[in-house]
Amino acid sequence: MKRYLCLGCGFLYDEALGLPQAGIAPGTRWEDIPEDWVCPDCGTPKSLFEMVEIAY
Amino acid sequence: MNADFILRSGERGYNRLVSTGPNAGYVAGHPDGVITRHSCFNFHEYQSGISGFGKIRVFGDEVFSANGTGYNMHPHHNFIIAAVILKGSLTHINTIGKIDVLNAGDYYVFSTGSGGKHCELNIEQEELQVIYIWALPDRLMTPPSYHRGHFDAAARRNELVCLVGDRPGALPIRQDLRIFRLKSEAGGSYDYALRPDHGAFLFLIEGAAMVGRDRLERRDSIGLVSCRRIAIAVGAEGADLLLVDTAL
Repeated sequence: MKRYLCLGCGFLYDEALGLPQAGIAPGTRWEDIPEDWVCPDCGTPKSLFEMVEIAY
Repeated sequence: MNADFILRSGERGYNRLVSTGPNAGYVAGHPDGVITRHSCFNFHEYQSGISGFGKIRVFGDEVFSANGTGYNMHPHHNFIIAAVILKGSLTHINTIGKIDVLNAGDYYVFSTGSGGKHCELNIEQEELQVIYIWALPDRLMTPPSYHRGHFDAAARRNELVCLVGDRPGALPIRQDLRIFRLKSEAGGSYDYALRPDHGAFLFLIEGAAMVGRDRLERRDSIGLVSCRRIAIAVGAEGADLLLVDTAL
């Protein structure tokens, strides 16, 4: 399970948590999220997220 | 991402943001209000440059024209955002520090963690010049925190002063990163020792300096990972610069 950070605002997508409020189930892999998906907070495209290995 | 580089002032990304059109919800101000942003690293529309350095992801040199220009309230997460005010006045409304007003020499660090929000405005008639630095934290989703400080250029001239990081008197952050400012009026030599697995990013705000064998002029920058000792030589023209020491 990986974590991806939005480089526009810092929004976090954690594969383990998914984004249930947006219909993305926990466990959804990053590559399975549509390429036209954007950051729900700032609109930054999926391609401008960075995979991070930072702990909680 | 972590290689030595020199980036000249004119090679940086450039964006001109106006308060009408697609950015109207984000950019505040009258229709003639303008924000200009020069970016050392890829950010928003500018994506053809360097993606970052160590833990730094954004280094923006911004000017807010007068007339209420700024960024409307917007959310952040996780990023550590530092701002150094060079000229003018920044009204900073945020969910931690409430309403703060910062003037030339003042700086803040906003660790936005689990979801701090802020609004940044120039409400004066003079233009605002500000440097923004965004860094990754060492922990995700921590409680947001906000701190501010003042760089006293007269009392602290001719020394590398730590503004942010784990040094006495500096503003604390959750990252192995330090931001220093040096204002050298009479010239001189300044050495900075890097720890193993760290790099240095230097940005010339004003003046000129030799960094190792490379001459930097106004708004030039350099990233160094291959040396452990940073030798800065300032001539008679003086220099005002920022040095960021970051884990790689």
